[in-house]
Amino acid sequence: MSNAYIDKFPAEAKVVKAAFYSSFLALALGGVFGVIQTLHRTDIYRFIDSADYYTVLTAHGVFMVITFTIFFLVGVFTWAVTTSLDRGVEDIRFTWSWVGLMTIGTVMAGVAILAGFVDSIDISASVLFTFYAPLQAHPLFYLGLVLFVVGTWVAGADWFRSWWAWKKENPDARIPLPTFMVLTTMIMWYIATMGVATSILVFLLPWSLGWIETVNPLLTRTLFWFFGHPVVYFWLMPAYLLWYTMLPKFAGGKLFSDPLARVGFVLFLLLSTPVGIHHQYLDPGIAEGFKFIAMTNTMFLLLPSFLTAFTVVASIEHGARQRGGTGYFSWLKSLPWRDPVFAGMALAGLLFAAAGFSGMVNAGMNINYLVHNSLWVVGHFHLTVGTAVALTFMAVSYWFIPQVTGKELWNRSVALIQVVLWFIGMTFMTNSMHRAGLIGMPRRTAEPQYTGFEFETAVGSVGELNAQIALGGVLLTLSLVLFFANIIGTAFGSRSDNLPDNGYAEALSGSDDAPRVLDNLKLWTAIAVVLVIIAYSLPLMSIVDRGGLFGPDITAFPANLESVRFLAFAVEHLGTAALESAGTLAWNTLPEVIR
Amino acid sequence: MNIHTYEKVWLIAALLLIVGFIATITYGSVGLGIAMIDDSEETVEPSELDEDFGEPRVEHVGENEYEAYVIAQTFIFQPDPIEVPANSKVTFYVTSRDVIHSFSVVGTNINTMVIPGEVSTMTAEFDESGEYGIICNEYCGSFHHTMEGQLHVVPEDEFDMTELSVESDDEVELGNETTFNVAVENGMLDDLETTVTFEIGNETTEEEITVSGESTEETTFTVDSTELGEGDHDWTVTVDDYEESGTLTVVEDLEEEEENGGNNDE
Ligand code: HEM
Ligand SMILES: [Cu+2]
Ligand SMILES: [Cu+2]
Repeated sequence: MSNAYIDKFPAEAKVVKAAFYSSFLALALGGVFGVIQTLHRTDIYRFIDSADYYTVLTAHGVFMVITFTIFFLVGVFTWAVTTSLDRGVEDIRFTWSWVGLMTIGTVMAGVAILAGFVDSIDISASVLFTFYAPLQAHPLFYLGLVLFVVGTWVAGADWFRSWWAWKKENPDARIPLPTFMVLTTMIMWYIATMGVATSILVFLLPWSLGWIETVNPLLTRTLFWFFGHPVVYFWLMPAYLLWYTMLPKFAGGKLFSDPLARVGFVLFLLLSTPVGIHHQYLDPGIAEGFKFIAMTNTMFLLLPSFLTAFTVVASIEHGARQRGGTGYFSWLKSLPWRDPVFAGMALAGLLFAAAGFSGMVNAGMNINYLVHNSLWVVGHFHLTVGTAVALTFMAVSYWFIPQVTGKELWNRSVALIQVVLWFIGMTFMTNSMHRAGLIGMPRRTAEPQYTGFEFETAVGSVGELNAQIALGGVLLTLSLVLFFANIIGTAFGSRSDNLPDNGYAEALSGSDDAPRVLDNLKLWTAIAVVLVIIAYSLPLMSIVDRGGLFGPDITAFPANLESVRFLAFAVEHLGTAALESAGTLAWNTLPEVIR
Repeated sequence: MNIHTYEKVWLIAALLLIVGFIATITYGSVGLGIAMIDDSEETVEPSELDEDFGEPRVEHVGENEYEAYVIAQTFIFQPDPIEVPANSKVTFYVTSRDVIHSFSVVGTNINTMVIPGEVSTMTAEFDESGEYGIICNEYCGSFHHTMEGQLHVVPEDEFDMTELSVESDDEVELGNETTFNVAVENGMLDDLETTVTFEIGNETTEEEITVSGESTEETTFTVDSTELGEGDHDWTVTVDDYEESGTLTVVEDLEEEEENGGNNDE
């Protein structure tokens, strides 16, 4: 009999497994679209119409950074809370309800996007994952996103519920570190999603249903980025959680400092949201002063990441020394590089450090003219979310999947090759994307080959850059194939008694060293809200004042679809208390639309 | 809370780095004067750009200073190409008629989002002549990738903002006179001294004119059809590098012609 997660929490293991499998499905779809667009935009192999490229890109963006990342997150967080509080969820049906909401939301948004490929279906949502108005998607898309987000809210409530129940029984205990990380991340998420929820529920959804005529494009865009920056930390926080609490363990050591880990997460909670305007450095209609504030906040947001870098490296070093490593740098050799879980997470961390450099450039307000919306940015976030997050998730899956299925990993060598391939593929793809961005090559473009001019490279050539991007993309796709082979191989294996114990790393400097105020979540929430109000109230007021709440008179693109009117009718009929319960509403309209 | 000495050093170094970054950016804004796109322009109504924003155009506003009013819409930029002289300072005003676009001059740091209802402005200096591509780098619809334009920075001595137009009859009755009304518009602030050359048949007439800054000068050439004789006569009007041309037909009897053929090319 082993001591794996599934042995202790069989019911919760099913939930975590379902979340992971959903996320992998999204990763598989996203990966297919990823390689299609890589080959298309580099003009190496084109088999879709360029007009369909944007449907592919929407699907890639949404499946990767909404579905894949967030489904994985809810799996990790459920595991983290139950493991660290050492108690199951309060009510497993409640837990399944948010899995259900998130799934339905994904299916709705996914159907709306993919229907864009089929001309005979009058539904489309080729608006990319940023859905800037006046580009308009089918209401199904917005409804799906809402349901998905509501699902994550309910998930957060579930984890808070566990913590409250635990606190009653352990009134004086410190919040265990993994739970602390989950709770601070979720508070950040509640604050952040207010922006996108307002944007969709007040403006975009009613507009797509034809209930309001127009929207203010700058306002909905600003509300999107109110959410759009913190969402990148939402992707990153589970990876940080794993680097802090699992990586030291895989390295054979302990977490360097529990208190500083808490400080890091508190800083993320405080600073993640009041920076969103740094995505709008080049937007007209926003005063330079507001951009400056966002810039300084962004720079200070580097601090918790620097902190993380230190703590993680120090913890790994401790692990290496426990394993007999010595010397200034030669301890590196004593690390378990043949363990795919460790190797994958460490390589992810390495590329994340590289991403730090391009990130600092992005944060520079006036340097942004050079790189904004160029392929540089795509290079940057394939290092962050596409590697730091995605590779960490894939690597740690080699530990998690056995924990939640009770089966041994199918093949460790394949796993090791897989993570190394991802590292190599991303190095090729992102390095050349950064370079292509610097010569002005745009992102989000099906055919960046223009008739009136040529891009000028200082070193190399456009052809060489494209070849590297495509090579990287192909290696990444291979890596994904190996990943799924391993997951499927494992899923079809048989139960094993020979699994590692569930658990996470202890700390060298434990929570007793952490000032109690760090655990005062109410205080941090209040400060976070105040910071958001300071950063956003004036810009938002000024935007509404300039352009009006519903903006100027512009038509939606593409012009209203037939089925929208039908759906509007259906929604009006089904719920006069319309948005009161988005959940039931979508349940009811879904079959109508598909029929 | 005990913080390891190394960690303290690291934290202080990180903070210094952060403050250093902020200082650098601030220096870029204040010291080098790299202004951000901001909210200094009034908003416009995208459906009424003719009134709020005017025609897409380039204006000469001061010595070596120009303003380019650019409209982005799916999937073009206007004017195209945008022409300005070398050794000039150009302020771009860019707005959108429909969705969000960008206005990005490849190989320069001229790059801005273009949002309907808002006007983006930025000023750039062009020391040398050259041709640049302009692209839209924000997804704006199915043919986003075809959205491109040109910025031509022409040598200073080849640059002008002259426009020539000619109004004339296509046909004239033998024995009658007809007039050619020539208008020369000068968009620059300085006066334009030039010659209007009119050619018809074997006749060449020249006229010296002075068009003051930002105005239009008209002049008229009168032709006697008897001298030309019946038939088609090609004509051209030339001002500097600009040329207008056409054909004048001298007919026996205007009324009859019209009844028979009715092929007035109007
Ligand atoms: C097989 C691996 C992958 C390949 C080949 C790939 C390729 C690409 C390419 C070429 C683009 C740029 C398209 C354009 O701007 O025209 C892109 C965009 C993007 N990718 Fe990936 N990618 C991969 C994996 C990932 C992963 C793992 C993530 C995140 C978890 C991710 C997130 C994104 C996002 C958010 C965009 C931007 C979408 C937009 O601009 O709306 N990608 N990808
Ligand atoms: Cu951001
Ligand atoms: Cu575009």
